[in-house]
Amino acid sequence: MSYVKVDNLVKKYGDLTAVDHLSFSVSKGKIFGLLGPNGAGKSTTLNVITTLTDFDKGEITIDGLDLRKDKTKIKKLIGMVPQDIAIYTHLNAFENVKFFASLYGLKGKELTEYSIEALEFVGLQDKMKLKPKKMSGGMRRRLNIACGIAHQPKLIILDEPTVGVDTQSREHILNSIQLLRDRGATVIYTSHYMQEVEEICDRIAIIDRGQLIACGTEPELVSMVTDVQTIYIETRLPYEFDSESFDRKIKLMPGVKGVTLEDSVIRVDISIGEDNITRIIQEFIDTGFPIISINSEVPNLDTLFLTLTGRELR
Amino acid sequence: MIQIIIKETKSFLRDTTNLFFYLIFPVVLVFLLGNLLTYMDKAEETIGKLRIHYSIETYDMADILAIEGFISEVEGHNIIFERRENLDDAIILAGSDDIDGAVLFTNSPMEIYIYEGSSRIKNRTINAIMNGFTQINKAVNIIVKTNPKALTAIADLSKSPELQQEFIEPKDLGVSRSMLDYYAITMLSMLCFMSVIIGAMCFMGEEENGTIHRLKIAPVNQVKLFFAKILGLIPQIFLQISILMVTSVFIFGAKYASNLIDNIYLLTLFFVVTFTIISIGAVYGLCININPMIIIFPLVWLIMFLGGTYSKELFIDGLTQALPTYKLQEAAFDIAIFGRYERANNIIIVCIIISIIMLILGALAVNRKVKK
Repeated sequence: MSYVKVDNLVKKYGDLTAVDHLSFSVSKGKIFGLLGPNGAGKSTTLNVITTLTDFDKGEITIDGLDLRKDKTKIKKLIGMVPQDIAIYTHLNAFENVKFFASLYGLKGKELTEYSIEALEFVGLQDKMKLKPKKMSGGMRRRLNIACGIAHQPKLIILDEPTVGVDTQSREHILNSIQLLRDRGATVIYTSHYMQEVEEICDRIAIIDRGQLIACGTEPELVSMVTDVQTIYIETRLPYEFDSESFDRKIKLMPGVKGVTLEDSVIRVDISIGEDNITRIIQEFIDTGFPIISINSEVPNLDTLFLTLTGRELR
Repeated sequence: MIQIIIKETKSFLRDTTNLFFYLIFPVVLVFLLGNLLTYMDKAEETIGKLRIHYSIETYDMADILAIEGFISEVEGHNIIFERRENLDDAIILAGSDDIDGAVLFTNSPMEIYIYEGSSRIKNRTINAIMNGFTQINKAVNIIVKTNPKALTAIADLSKSPELQQEFIEPKDLGVSRSMLDYYAITMLSMLCFMSVIIGAMCFMGEEENGTIHRLKIAPVNQVKLFFAKILGLIPQIFLQISILMVTSVFIFGAKYASNLIDNIYLLTLFFVVTFTIISIGAVYGLCININPMIIIFPLVWLIMFLGGTYSKELFIDGLTQALPTYKLQEAAFDIAIFGRYERANNIIIVCIIISIIMLILGALAVNRKVKK
């Protein structure tokens, strides 16, 4: 069931079409990734969904509510974590979270409990009295997230929440987003970092120049470009090694597209999606070749974007 | 809404720049300017003894009696009049500063000629004394021509000290004034107009922090949001005006109005004007993306400068009276010195109208969508 449905969305700024007939849907309780280079229309799309910007054409429904008609009801469902850190420097962490949660009608004990919970969720429970000025960049990012989720929204929109943070904070943020999804929230996530999107998103839409390039799960997207995966197996070959016979044997295995030998590294191109790697490794073990290392090279979303648009993602 | 008010107050009180510019700086300015100018003012007030020679060349008995009567009333320890038959010597003495001035009463209707010495302040004093006499004499002449019997009544008054006191003596203005009092009110006025920066920054700050987007996507009515932001500034307006008034009175000894009611009215006047100015600033902050310190700040200083906030000497006829700073100070002095509310009432009405317009404009500006 689609929790968010964007249908033929068009948004123009004068002559510039920022979003051009964009359509996608987000299932309830899933993380949906919006991927695209700068100026692709990601932020405009998010601004439209969060009611910050009007749109020219199309339809958007969230939880069955029409964005044009039920703006106030929709606002209550959404929690936004903007790309730029949006917090008050003169208020401490707890006061910041409490203030933004209060805008959603929370009061008294409930407001305090939800605020503390949000800070605990992002790992800032020990820093409640700390003002943003005294926080590290990563901590401020986490506080930025806490401010967007304290009212426990059903739809959470995160616009590049990990920009400029250290590895530890990034891991914490990504784990937190998955935890939010596991708790039942629907998440729309944008990022420049391919690995992040691949790691946490259930479905991904790639947009460029306001248009949808591709949409699906990661394997679905990768299969749009190629069905070949390459594995590199480093081994110790015997002195009287019959490479032709070995090649033939490997090539005959189902799913194998090609084999080449370079020094002690054997490169095998195989079809994606079948359990071919296990079979090949088993063959090495049966033959008695010791495996020193295995590397796998799978085409990623960057390759996909390059193939589809002729440009690199960043 | 209460959360926004609490948030605004906390932010204001925790911002050291705000604390300095809006709470500490005006208080220090009242102290420095007030004391400095009081000292300068005191130097001007030291007139010392006045020695005046005069001659009467009129033959109208009424005039002669009036002159003699006036001089006998005015003459005292510090003012010494000496009658001369020939004023030529007196004029020479005045020219050489041996006496402070020579006065000739002549003709009918009476004319007065003043021969001044070189002391500017003593000359001004002699002129003021003679001006007073002229006004009284004119009044007496009018009474003589129109209602001579009234003179008898005035003569009776002189026999009854109680009646005389009630009829003639000016009513006590309540307090003796100094330049400190003048600056206490002008600094309130300055603070009031400088608040335009608070108004402008309250939304510009949200824009800079990016928090304006969070506010806009929250399920809060945008009109209410603008109201709440402005209302959130009320505690600080109240605080800054109260602190300035209280410290000026209790620490520096400045005096505003002579009674509590007038002081409360004075506070109300400044409160209403400050609210209006903050709402104007807020609309500026929402609509114009240029730092108010570049445009508004110099403009406000210029208005205050030309409006007589800093110097009573700077007065451009026709312009100064039309400036809001002048009008506000005029109304404030009316309350503080005379207990008159008319000007203040007019200002309050105008401010309420402007505030309503600004609140509507502000709500519309908040409701504008984000542009790329």
